[in-house]
Amino acid sequence: MAEMTAAERLDRTLAIVPWVANQPDGTASIREISERFAIDADDLRDCLIITSMVGIHPYTPDLLINAIVDADTVTIDLPDYFRRPLRLTAEQTFALLTSAKALLSVPGADQESALARGLSKVLTSLGEASETAVDVGIATAPDAIIEQLRAAIEKRHAVEITYYSYGRDDTGNRRIDPWAIHSEGGLWYLQGWCHSSSAERLFRIDRIREVVLTDQAFTVPDPLPTFTLFDGSNALGQITLELQPEARWVTEYYPAEAIEPHPDGTTTITLAIGSLPWLERLLLRLGPEAKVVNASPSLAGVETTAARRLLALYRG
Amino acid sequence: MTPTDKSAEKFERQMNLLAALSDTVQGIRAVDIQQRVPGYNADHESFRRTFERDKKDLLSLGVPIEVVAGATADLTAYRVDKSKYELPDPGLESDELAALHLALETVTVGSSPGDMARAMWRLGGVVDAATENPFGVPVGELTEIPSDASLVPLFRAVTERRAVSFAYESATGVSTRSVEPWHLDFKRGRWNLTAFDRERDDQRTFRLDRIRSSVELDDPGSQLHPIPVSPVPQADPWEFGEDEPTLTRVRFDPEVADFARQSLMSCTSTDHADGSVSFEVPVANWPAFRSFVLSYLDHCVILSPETARSAMVEWLEQIVAEVHG
Repeated sequence: MAEMTAAERLDRTLAIVPWVANQPDGTASIREISERFAIDADDLRDCLIITSMVGIHPYTPDLLINAIVDADTVTIDLPDYFRRPLRLTAEQTFALLTSAKALLSVPGADQESALARGLSKVLTSLGEASETAVDVGIATAPDAIIEQLRAAIEKRHAVEITYYSYGRDDTGNRRIDPWAIHSEGGLWYLQGWCHSSSAERLFRIDRIREVVLTDQAFTVPDPLPTFTLFDGSNALGQITLELQPEARWVTEYYPAEAIEPHPDGTTTITLAIGSLPWLERLLLRLGPEAKVVNASPSLAGVETTAARRLLALYRG
Repeated sequence: MTPTDKSAEKFERQMNLLAALSDTVQGIRAVDIQQRVPGYNADHESFRRTFERDKKDLLSLGVPIEVVAGATADLTAYRVDKSKYELPDPGLESDELAALHLALETVTVGSSPGDMARAMWRLGGVVDAATENPFGVPVGELTEIPSDASLVPLFRAVTERRAVSFAYESATGVSTRSVEPWHLDFKRGRWNLTAFDRERDDQRTFRLDRIRSSVELDDPGSQLHPIPVSPVPQADPWEFGEDEPTLTRVRFDPEVADFARQSLMSCTSTDHADGSVSFEVPVANWPAFRSFVLSYLDHCVILSPETARSAMVEWLEQIVAEVHG
């Protein structure tokens, strides 16, 4: 019993006792209970023996919990308390609903599955307000695309994808060995080998427009390289910005080479730049909230060139 | 006395205490607990200390102990309302239990795994996961949904129909908001709250990462406005505003049309012969919408109203002027 805290023992016993009492004849095998509630058989026996001494004043037999612990089985008959397990806490309910709803939001999830049935029963027992309390979407990718990628991963065949590269602001075709699908921060990613760039790449699945399965087989690296989201490439050099206080979110959002806060609330930040469209978007969005104080030659004047190009759309 | 004996004693005493609290309607007075529940010390001071600790332990498990005030501390009575203690039987089959357990292990929402194991005990324990995948789709990797300190209090507020207040940072600064929470949603990596805002007398959406204080919960049932029957729409960043929404028309080039459709699913759209598409977007937060439009670079242009077009032109001109001015 030493490993279990007193609170754990109490919590578990308050769940085990009504469960056993509700079995046919109020009887269950010690083995099944210890598996179901992840408790060592000896600990379980100790808990149940103590439970058989629990009751209310004046502790006549009819007011005690009647627990008979045999070698292999236990039989419990309850007075008018401990007949149901304790309700879930708000934390527990929230985690249960959120995790089940998240999995059911995955494209292609079976809405008749055991999980869906289980969730619906739990929601019904919790009452009306819980049914609409939380919505979780961990998927934004079209079902068909994710299905095709899953099939290709399983078959270990390369795919041709039509992909919109946000970093390059360009749509093109690439041949990929699809290794695995990951979900992070509510988005889905395909991890794989990109033949077009001869390198491992990550693709946002919601930016894949088309998938065509090829006959070309591939082998998955073992172990799979770690899944990391940010590519800190600085192929184009560095840029140093002076950020107004309103633009300080940039320091939390992107990995910086250097950050220097100033007493007047402004911040100097240096970023490594691997993509021109990425930098254009950042500077256009920041507008007067950021001033370029230093830039590698290839990045000089990026914001004015981009702003003029967009102005032409409105004046044309 | 060995520690194991002490721990077993405590377990037995707390079980007896809970039985005594559950068996009373009027409540049982502290003085009667001391005399009738085995395991408490006859010494008054020592009884009080042990009793307070036991009470705290039970409360931490979620036992709803109610206090019935008396003239003195010893006359104060305590009780557990069985209807608030008992988990209604959801009647879960073993495959459903296994699926829920697997869901809790696959998707974590900031809670500790130990706490989740306890939730499973209360639902009937953990049975071996079925060999067949219970979700209908393969879920290989563990998915983590970011947690937020306000999540559980706001969830309680929704399910217990409580009004709440918190400090909230919007474009105009930090202010205290008094709202009736209706719905929580997780979208594009963020938690949002839809609620009735009492001061603005209308529905508003709040980002949880902009809440700047703890959430103060009012009493259960303190919400005055019914939750709308139709599903609460999930909001986009440009809908999180204090302004009256302006219907803004924007046009996207063919190569980004599909992505624009995904982002603006709920807006009215028109497809054009050249493959481009235009949308009518209700904009309540101009800076957020400006950022969204600019993220499409040359592939998106605002068509109307004229005020939005000139606001965009003015913004872009400032960028050009910055350098030369």
